[in-house]
Amino acid sequence: MHEQAQLRFKKDKVEKLGAEVYVVLAMDLYRTKVFKEQNLVLSTFKNPFTKEKNLVFGTALSDPAGYASALYGVSRRCLRGLAWVENSPCWFVINRKGTLTYASHPTFSGPTFYVKDIDIILEELRKAAR
Amino acid sequence: MKNFNKGWKERTLVEFEIVNSANLGALRAGLKDRNPFVRSIAARALGIRADKPSAEALAELVKADPEYMVRARAVESLGLLKKKPEAIELAKKDRNSGVQWVARMAAGQIQGDTDYGALVRKAYAAGIKRDNLGVAKVGKPAPDFAALTSDGKPFRLSTVLGKKPIAVYFAAFDG
Repeated sequence: MHEQAQLRFKKDKVEKLGAEVYVVLAMDLYRTKVFKEQNLVLSTFKNPFTKEKNLVFGTALSDPAGYASALYGVSRRCLRGLAWVENSPCWFVINRKGTLTYASHPTFSGPTFYVKDIDIILEELRKAAR
Repeated sequence: MKNFNKGWKERTLVEFEIVNSANLGALRAGLKDRNPFVRSIAARALGIRADKPSAEALAELVKADPEYMVRARAVESLGLLKKKPEAIELAKKDRNSGVQWVARMAAGQIQGDTDYGALVRKAYAAGIKRDNLGVAKVGKPAPDFAALTSDGKPFRLSTVLGKKPIAVYFAAFDG
């Protein structure tokens, strides 16, 4: 959710680039709806998102069999509750010609890793917009 | 949550095969297997396959299985089957927080008319080929895929490709 919150924070920059953002969950439609609609953590204390209805800025997509996730090589790599039901989080950027131009897993390398991650995604979207 | 890169293709293919093709009798027997991984995948597959006669056995697993992963998959399947609300309520108070969370999702799924299980079943029924696993590569055309938006509308990546720059994030629920 940190990635989503940071992206939501920079929503204006994404819109200025005329870019679209999609968030794919290898989960059923109900869980995808909950992911999109519930401001799970950040609505519980005072912060820039407290009054936002949706924390997730991008279009949330349900991929319950993990098909799209498998095409992109990120499925069934994460073990949660001893079940292979989660994606390994990963960003992809696609340019105006429909070519994949960037792929990267979040580093989760410190308390503010998501700031750098989203700055890189914005820069890659800038290149992809040319 | 841990990441395991090795073997993901095999896990993906086996999962599709079990969900789509495993014998229902074998899956029902799998609920009583000694191996918790077998009980877990059997519970998940029976829910996706809409095997309502398994509801009683799944409810028993929710109540009594010593392994939380089995209880989680069993209550998840009761949500897909829209059966045994009392077992789902019980799981909301499970000693494991992961099971509690899955039970809250299942409690939401049994409300209303949407057949979430049918949507999952349809997604698996499309199948997958080994050659297609991990085909997305930087410098190559983005592979097309279909999905549903969170409000249930059909989506296909190819309908938006070539128009705008696009970022796609493959997410875990909380990451």
